[in-house]
Amino acid sequence: LSSLPLQILFYVNGIYYIFYFLATLAMIIYKSQVFSYPDDFLAPDLAVLFLMAVLEVPRLYLGCKGNLREEAAALGLSLGVTVGSVALALYLLAWQTYVLWAEVLLGALLLAAYALEAALKVTAIAAFV
Amino acid sequence: PADTRDAAQPWPRSAPAPVTDVARLCVCDLLVAQCDPNCCCDPDCSPEEFSLFTACSVPLVTGDSRLCSQKAAVYSLDVEANPPQRIFQLIDRVNPSIFCIRATNYKQALYLRSPEMPTPENFDELLHKFGSSAFSAEPENWKVDTEAPNPPDLNETSRYEFGVPIQTEDAFLRLPSPVVSSWCSDANPAGFLVNQDTKCIRAVSVEKCDRIPALNMLFYTNSSILAVPKSSQTVNVSVQSVVVQSLDGMRTLLKEGKDVLRLPVILGELCLNVVLGVSYHITYTDTGEIREAAAAFVLGAISKETPSVQQSFQISFTQVDTNPVALSGNPGYVVGLPVRAGSRPGEYPFQGELGSSGRCQLSVLPSSAHECLAAQGARAPVLFGHNVLSGCTLRITAAMKCQPLAQTLLDVLKGPDFPEYVASFGNSQAQDVLDWVPITHLLISEQRISATLQSSCQIPVSLRIEVKWTKYGSLVNPQARIVNVTATLTTTTLRQLPPGRERIIPVTSSVVFTDVSAPAEPGYKAWPTLNIKLPFDFFYPFV
Repeated sequence: LSSLPLQILFYVNGIYYIFYFLATLAMIIYKSQVFSYPDDFLAPDLAVLFLMAVLEVPRLYLGCKGNLREEAAALGLSLGVTVGSVALALYLLAWQTYVLWAEVLLGALLLAAYALEAALKVTAIAAFV
Repeated sequence: PADTRDAAQPWPRSAPAPVTDVARLCVCDLLVAQCDPNCCCDPDCSPEEFSLFTACSVPLVTGDSRLCSQKAAVYSLDVEANPPQRIFQLIDRVNPSIFCIRATNYKQALYLRSPEMPTPENFDELLHKFGSSAFSAEPENWKVDTEAPNPPDLNETSRYEFGVPIQTEDAFLRLPSPVVSSWCSDANPAGFLVNQDTKCIRAVSVEKCDRIPALNMLFYTNSSILAVPKSSQTVNVSVQSVVVQSLDGMRTLLKEGKDVLRLPVILGELCLNVVLGVSYHITYTDTGEIREAAAAFVLGAISKETPSVQQSFQISFTQVDTNPVALSGNPGYVVGLPVRAGSRPGEYPFQGELGSSGRCQLSVLPSSAHECLAAQGARAPVLFGHNVLSGCTLRITAAMKCQPLAQTLLDVLKGPDFPEYVASFGNSQAQDVLDWVPITHLLISEQRISATLQSSCQIPVSLRIEVKWTKYGSLVNPQARIVNVTATLTTTTLRQLPPGRERIIPVTSSVVFTDVSAPAEPGYKAWPTLNIKLPFDFFYPFV
């Protein structure tokens, strides 16, 4: 049986991620105007943010598909991409050039969501296999 | 050798690290090893000195306030205690904003960047970036702008404009003038329509006087002037007149002065024909083209004792086919310029006024006059705004006859051609009769009450010219306009002197300018009127 909490979490994660992406982008723009943000420090931060956005789409898609069709492979792939997303989110939380308090909050929330998702995926894979 | 290599590295490889510890930063600690007054963070101060402070000039030293939490050093004075003590606290300040910086991974984020130390490797690059008078983030941009400098005034190809340097075949028409000090600099160009009058000193020596170019007439007449900038039409500088000045200062005009050329010649201990002054007269058309150029020279002689000579240079511009009448203001009079006056030659035929450049000028006795009868001839022009009081003394002997004396004194006071009209504006034209103010004459005769017959003669002793002027025009740029000129002649009786006796009486002439301006009236624009009219057949069919 598909995991209902996981599906709910995917749905919420999708909406929250859009908000997170826009908020982080706005704050990077704000930081670049207010603080001294040279180009060779701005580029990696923006690259990580966009990479995370790009990874989010297949992650959610694969997760949804695997959960609804009760396929362990897709869920496993989604879990792998989640690990990558966690790493990028951790970079934005701790190793950005400037880390604002708001970013810490949003990032922590996102990481909590990822962690919960990962746990639910593992249980789902165990159930499907 | 080893010692030179060691000596070649005295300076450090990098700048000293910035102080970031809040407890050690003190902005008011200016005196080294001394206590700064009212500076609570100064480490050189002892507790006794702290007790003498009245307030802390620096109460708080913090790190960047945009960080979420930063260390702060708080200095305050406890005035309640006896003696007053300084309190120092190291606290953590918290920034409550949600956008405060929790962490930075960029070392120089919140500090000013230390400049790069120049090394042999990066010197060229640093020089390229910072070597010009202005730095820019993109030095290539600046290079492109300054690569093709436009000569600023030479873009006009068809005519001269005001202030543009007059070009000659090789360079510019030079008018030596003093730059910074009084010594002559030959690089000053003459500007078109810019009348100049300069004096400068040049070092000379008799032995080299024929080799110094600036003492030679040819230097000033050699190069021909271009009629329009960047054209091939040239105008030669002709010699208009030559005045020769002797060593004691006496000047004589050379009869055959036109187009004569006299080069410096060494004669014993003197050097003759040295240029002491040049006066250029340039004739131009109203399209900005130079028609003629003439130069009038003053040549003199220098002797072995003179180490330097003063040269004077003038340049003036006249338009073709005009008679230049110097304006005294445009339109209001300018303080210091002569008052223009004139007279009408006759009622019929109606000729108009003569300008003041002719013989007819409002003038007074010069201030250098001493003896009236000897002072005939020298006059000082009346300058607008300058009150003048001058006079001379008259020695009356018994043998002087009254009537001729009175006439002579009148001539001395009024001058040879006393005008009848004074221009009310500085630029009044002779054709505009209404712009000229007639001079009112008043006569005051000081008569002795005691037994004088009317037939005793009166001699003029004082002439007072009172010029009433007003401010005319707008409040922000008022122009001076003469409204009234009154010439008051005071006469006194000449008592017969016993023979052999002399009397000395003073004769004075004065000019007074009084401002009779009415207070300014504000002028408002008319209220806008609404022009509403109903159409003719608006109330059709009732009307």
